[in-house]
Amino acid sequence: MKDNSMIKLLTLSAALLLTVSASQALAQGHGGDKPGKEGKGGGGEHAQGDKDHPGNGGKGNKPKDRGDEDRGDKGENRYQQAERDDDRGRGREYAGSNRERDRDHDQYRAYGLIKGCPPGLAKKNNGCLPPGQAKKAQRARYDFGWGQANDGFVHRYDDGYQYRYDRQGSLLGYLPALGGALSAGNPWPTQYRYEPAPRSQLDYYRLNDSSDYRYADGAIYRVDPKTAMIQQVVALVTGQSAAVGQRLPSGYDVYNVPYAYRDQYPDTANTTYRYNDGAIYQVNPKTQMIMAVIQLLAQKR
Amino acid sequence: MRTLTRLALTTLAVFTLAGCGDRPDATRQENSTAEAQAGATKLTLAATLKAGEAHAGLAKVLNNSGLMGALEGVGPYTLFAPADDALKGAGGADFTDAALKAEGAALLRAHIVPGALTRADIIGAVDRSGSKGAQMRTMGGSLLTFTRSGNDLIATASDGASARLTGQEVLASNGVLQPLDGLLARPSAAPN
Repeated sequence: MKDNSMIKLLTLSAALLLTVSASQALAQGHGGDKPGKEGKGGGGEHAQGDKDHPGNGGKGNKPKDRGDEDRGDKGENRYQQAERDDDRGRGREYAGSNRERDRDHDQYRAYGLIKGCPPGLAKKNNGCLPPGQAKKAQRARYDFGWGQANDGFVHRYDDGYQYRYDRQGSLLGYLPALGGALSAGNPWPTQYRYEPAPRSQLDYYRLNDSSDYRYADGAIYRVDPKTAMIQQVVALVTGQSAAVGQRLPSGYDVYNVPYAYRDQYPDTANTTYRYNDGAIYQVNPKTQMIMAVIQLLAQKR
Repeated sequence: MRTLTRLALTTLAVFTLAGCGDRPDATRQENSTAEAQAGATKLTLAATLKAGEAHAGLAKVLNNSGLMGALEGVGPYTLFAPADDALKGAGGADFTDAALKAEGAALLRAHIVPGALTRADIIGAVDRSGSKGAQMRTMGGSLLTFTRSGNDLIATASDGASARLTGQEVLASNGVLQPLDGLLARPSAAPN
């Protein structure tokens, strides 16, 4: 009986060894057309494989150990809903591969676009004229910095808000602007929908206190949970996300992995790594397909 | 029997540990950039800007726009830092003016990209990219394109504004500061 137990134990040991070896072979293989799950091996104690695709959680492989991630996951689901809503409003105007690759990004950043005539313009009773026409003299500096998005829209800024027009000049909606309506000391604009910042990003950016952290238009804001007053811009994010099996969006040509992870995630001929918004994307350099999304934790810098 | 059990478990532990240890060695490739880590200061980007006079004007604009707090955080970000004398809007607009906070924020977001980009990283990407240049997404949603001009590295914004990377990069604890000799945005043309 004892001998039988020993044999079973040794067999179990051998089986476990094989399992360990196999997962390491996956982690080290960098083979090119592997599924994304090997990212878990690559993550080690500082990463979570393709555990949590920021902003796009429903599309990739679902993790088995989601545990306390419900909050972030719900937020991600709502982002997807918002994208669908926005898509209906905009129609399909993108063409060409780069535009297609970037479409999700633009929609993500457009989250929360408020429809209708902005309160400032309504007060002026000027028929919802574009602020550019209402304030021609100041246009040259007011448009500074907003005109680069190349997203098919025309952007104007006036009095705390960014306005979006189609190319024919029709107002599509408006958004509170960072540094404008979204400034420290201002109340969160009541009409502006927001999302709780994804849990994975709160963990990464070390924002685990009792404050309210809201994501909007490329930034995470700390907001007083009682008064809804904006306290600080605590992180900048591209808001751009992609899941395993999708192409890496354009604009990640330069190796940008945080110093502390460079030994662990170096570019090779068969695998490249790119950082964005608290995650490292493992990419096949030939196809630009994402092989794994490694959500970073904040222990290292 | 107990000895045999211990032997079996020890064997398993040794193999497992050995297996864990293999991975970092195997992935330590020729382009390992440990020197970047070693050369990083203990100061954040925000502290670096506040500590020196070289970018005092930029620091004021970052404070005014409300972005300085983000540069104190985890990051990492790479800040392409325009020379102070280039940091003006059309007609000499001053982005340290409280009335231009949002304009300053939009302008600076077009100068910040995610991650740590050393000068060597940018050169490597430009050399790989051929004539089209290497692109990076900014926190403003636009694209920056890096190219070479002789010995210079040039950054060009999507509206055509371009500037040269100058001086010494600063490897901060939460990113990289890359000085520029100009602004990566053009003032908009007057309306029709």
